[in-house]
Amino acid sequence: MHVVFVYKTTTMPGTYIPSDYLSVAVIIIFAALIGLGAIAAGLLVRPRRPYARKLMPYESGNPPVGEPRYRFSVKFYIVAMLFVVFDVEAVFLYPWAVAYDKLGIFGFVEMMLFIFILLIGYIYVWKKGAFNWE
Amino acid sequence: MEMETTISLLDIRPIIPELTLICVGLILILLDLIVKKKEIVAVVGIAGTLVALFGTYKLYGFYEPQVAFGGMFVLDGYANFFKLIFFLNIILTICISMKYMKIEKASFGEYYSLLMFSTTGMMIMASAADLIVLYLGLELMALSTYILVGLMRKKPRSNEAAIKYFFLGAFSSAFLLYGISLTYGLTGTTSLSGIAESLNALNIIGSPITYLGLIFMIVAFGFKIALVPFHMWAPDVYEGAPTSITAFMSVGPKAAGFAVLGRVLFDAFPAMQGQWASILIPMAVLTMAAGSIIALAQTNIKRMLAYSSIAHAGYMLLGIIAGTHEGLTSMVNYLMIYLFMNIGAFAIVIMLRREGFQGEDLEDYMGLSKSHPLASFLMLIFMFSLAGIPPTAGFIGKFYVFMEVINAGYVYLAIIAVVFSVISAFFYLRIVMYMYMKDPKQEVTLTTSPTMSIALAITAMMILIFGIFPSILLNLVRYSILG
Amino acid sequence: MSLSEILWVLIKTVLVVSVFLLHVMYVQYFERKVIGHMQGRMGPMRVGWHGLLQPIADSIKLFFKEDIIPSSADKPIFYIAPIIGVVAGVSTLAVIPLWSGFSIADLNVGILYILALSALASFSVILGGWASNSKYSFLGGLRSSAQVISYEIAMGLSLVGVMMMSGSANLSDIVNAQKGGWFIVPQFIAFVVFMIAVFAETNRVPFDLPEAETELVSGFATEYSGMRWALFFMAEYAGMFVMSGLAVVCFFGGWSGPAFLPGVVWFLLKVYSFIFLFFWVRATLPRYRYDQLMGLGWKLFIPLALANIILTGLIKLL
Repeated sequence: MHVVFVYKTTTMPGTYIPSDYLSVAVIIIFAALIGLGAIAAGLLVRPRRPYARKLMPYESGNPPVGEPRYRFSVKFYIVAMLFVVFDVEAVFLYPWAVAYDKLGIFGFVEMMLFIFILLIGYIYVWKKGAFNWE
Repeated sequence: MEMETTISLLDIRPIIPELTLICVGLILILLDLIVKKKEIVAVVGIAGTLVALFGTYKLYGFYEPQVAFGGMFVLDGYANFFKLIFFLNIILTICISMKYMKIEKASFGEYYSLLMFSTTGMMIMASAADLIVLYLGLELMALSTYILVGLMRKKPRSNEAAIKYFFLGAFSSAFLLYGISLTYGLTGTTSLSGIAESLNALNIIGSPITYLGLIFMIVAFGFKIALVPFHMWAPDVYEGAPTSITAFMSVGPKAAGFAVLGRVLFDAFPAMQGQWASILIPMAVLTMAAGSIIALAQTNIKRMLAYSSIAHAGYMLLGIIAGTHEGLTSMVNYLMIYLFMNIGAFAIVIMLRREGFQGEDLEDYMGLSKSHPLASFLMLIFMFSLAGIPPTAGFIGKFYVFMEVINAGYVYLAIIAVVFSVISAFFYLRIVMYMYMKDPKQEVTLTTSPTMSIALAITAMMILIFGIFPSILLNLVRYSILG
Repeated sequence: MSLSEILWVLIKTVLVVSVFLLHVMYVQYFERKVIGHMQGRMGPMRVGWHGLLQPIADSIKLFFKEDIIPSSADKPIFYIAPIIGVVAGVSTLAVIPLWSGFSIADLNVGILYILALSALASFSVILGGWASNSKYSFLGGLRSSAQVISYEIAMGLSLVGVMMMSGSANLSDIVNAQKGGWFIVPQFIAFVVFMIAVFAETNRVPFDLPEAETELVSGFATEYSGMRWALFFMAEYAGMFVMSGLAVVCFFGGWSGPAFLPGVVWFLLKVYSFIFLFFWVRATLPRYRYDQLMGLGWKLFIPLALANIILTGLIKLL
C-alpha cells in the first residue's frame, strides 16, 4: 500500500506577498489604535486626583493583608501542561482534517493511531486524578 | 513546483523493534493503573522487551542496510548491534531494580514505561541517518531520563540531580540544534550522507563555519557521553539518581551518544577526519585523566563509579579517534563489555542498600568477604574487569581499543591511556582490598531477589566468557559493522 | 498589490470596525433590555425613548471616569493588558465572512486564525490579573486562563469535524460547502460541544467564574476603571460576536438563506439569535462550581469531541 503525498507551492517563496495577511496587519494596527485612542482621548477630559488610599488594591474596603501573589494550587500548572499536549494534538488534526478526503483510509488509520496514543495518556492522567479539583 | 514523497507500509518493517517497545511502554502505563503489584509491570516489561529483541534479531544480519522513510532511518549492523546493547541494558536494569525501587519507595509503574521510552529514543538515535531523526531520538531519550533521575521525589538529592541534568541536557540540546542549523545552512540538507556529498561538492571542507557546526555537535554529544570538559553534571547526577537509574544511564545514553557520534563523524564528516580528531584527542586525554585521578579521591562508591565511567568514555573515544572502521569496531566491542561490568558493579552497590542503610560509602565494603564471600567475589570480578586486568573482559576491551589506536598511528595516545589505566587500577583495587583485607566495621546484610541473581549471573558470566574467549564477541561485532 | 487594493482593504476595515463598535454599544443595551424583561423589569428607560440613548450616555460617562492605577500595580503590563484584549478581539473580525465573498481577509487558515487570536485574548486576562497585584484580580486571572485553555481544546477539536466535512479551514469555503445542508445536522455533537465551549471561552454565565461578582468582586478587572475597563468589556463582547459568527459560519450556513433578504441580513440575524441565546442563558442558568466546570471540560467534552472526529471519519469513509 502506498500513499503519495504531493506538495504544491503555487508561487516561489520570497517573491510572494500574501495580500490577505496585509489586511490582517491593517486590522491589527487599527484595533491597537482604537485601544490606545480610547485611552488617549480620555486623557483630555478625565479627572486625575490620586491619593494613597485610592491607589490601594481593593480588598472589600479593608487594608490589603499579605502578599497578593501568593502560591497557588499546583492544579493550574497541571492544566497548563495538559493544555500544551492536547492543543498540539488539536492543531495536528487540522491539516489532517482539511486533507481528509485525499488521504483516504491510510490517513484515517494513521490518525486513529495518533489519537489512540494520546488517549492512553488521557486515560493515564485521568486515573492519576489530574482532572479532579478537590 | 511539485515534490513527491512516497511512504509505504514496507517502511514500517525496520522500525518494528522501536514500535514494539513504544507499544510495551504504553501497555505498561495502562497496566500500572490496574495492577497494584509493580513486579507484574516489571515482568511484563521484560517480556515485551524480549519480544522487541526478537524483532531486532529477525532483522539482524542483512548485508545490505535497510533504509526507510526516504533515507532518514537506516537499519544496518552498526545500528543493530547498538540496539542489542540497549536491550541488554534495559533488561538488566529492570532485573536489578525491581526490589531496589521498592526499598527506595519509588516503585512506580511509570518507571518501567519511561525506561522503555528512553530506550526507544536511544534506538532511534542509533538508526538515525538524518540529523532531525537524531534529534528526535535524543530528546525522547533525554526527556525520559530526566524524569527517571528525579523519580525519588521525596529526596532532595534526586531532585537536585534531575534539575541539574535537565538544565545541562537542555543546554546540550541547544548546542546540537546550533550545530545542526549551521550545518544545514551550509549544506542545505540534514541527511548525513547528503552532508558529506555537499561538503565535497561545495568545497567547504574545513571552512570555519563548517568547523563551528561540527564543534557544536561534538559538544552536544560530549555532554551526553560526559566527556571532559562537559562532564560536570555526571558525578552529581549519578550520585543523586536512584542507583538502578545510575546503572542505566551510565550505559544507555552513553552508548547512544557514542552511536551518534560515530555515525555523524563517519557518515557526514569523513572528509574532515583530521579536524575532528584534533578536537577529540585533547578531550579524550582530559577525560581519561580527570576520570581516573578524581575517582581516587572519592569516598562514595556511586560517585567513584561515576568518575570511572567518565574515564571509560575516554578509552572508548580512542576507538573513534582512530578514524577507521576497525577502530569503531573496537569501540563498540568495548561498550558491550562495559555494559556488563558496569551494571554488574552497580548491582552489587544496589544489594548493599536496604531499609535504613544507604550502603554507598566505601567503608561499608570493609570485610564484605567475611560475611558474603560470593558477592565479594563477584564484585572482585567486576572491579578487575573495570580496571582491565586479565582474564576478564575489561582487559580485552581495552586491549583492542589500544591496538586499533596504535594501528591508526597514535602510539602516544595508547601510552597515555595505559598510564591512566594503571592509575585507575588503584581505586578499583582499593575496593577489593577493603573487601578482603579489612575487618568489618559493621554487620552488612544484602538484599537479594531472584531477578538480581539472574542479572549478576549473566553479567559475571559474560565478563568471564568474553575475557577468556574474546573472539565470540569480537566476531559478532566485526560481522555487524564490517560486514 | 496596487494602491486601490490597499485602499479597499482600509475602507473595509474602517467600515467593519466602526459598525462593530456600534454593535458593542448597542448589544449591551440589548442585553440589559432582554434580561430586564426576562426578570419582569423594563431595563434602561431614562435616556431617550425607551432608553435608546443609554449606551451613548454610558460611553460619554466612561470617558470622564478617572483612570485609577493602583500604586502596587505592575504598570507596563497593567497598561498593555486591555490593549492586547482589544486587539485580539477586534482583529478576529477580519476573517468572518459577512456575506458572499466579503471578509476583510479571506485566509485559508481562517479557523486557526480565530483560535489563535482567541487564545491571545486569554493573555490579556491573565496579564491584567497579574499586573493588578490584588488578590481578586490574581485569582480571577488564574481561573480565567485555566478555564479558557481547558475549553479551547474542546472547541478546537469540535471544529475538526466541520473541517473534515468541508475539506477546508477557510470560512467562506465552509459556508459554500453547506449548500447541500447545514452542518448542524451531521455535526450536531460538535455543535453542542462548540457552543458550550464558547460559553466558557467568552467567560459568560454559566461559566463566568473569572469575574464572578459574588465571590471575586469583578475578577481580573477589579482594579481597572474608566476607559481601560471599557476595553476589557469591549474585548468580551467582541469575543461573543466572533464566536457567534463562527458558530453561524460553521454550523448554520453563514450568510445563506432564502433570497428575499440579502446575505448580510441573514448572517446578522443568525448571529444576533446566538447573542440572544447568550443573554437568555445568563438570565436562566445559575453559575457552575469551578471544579464542576473543569471536570466537565476535561472529562466530558474532550472525549465527546474526539468521538465526533472518529465518527465523522468513519461516516465519510463509508
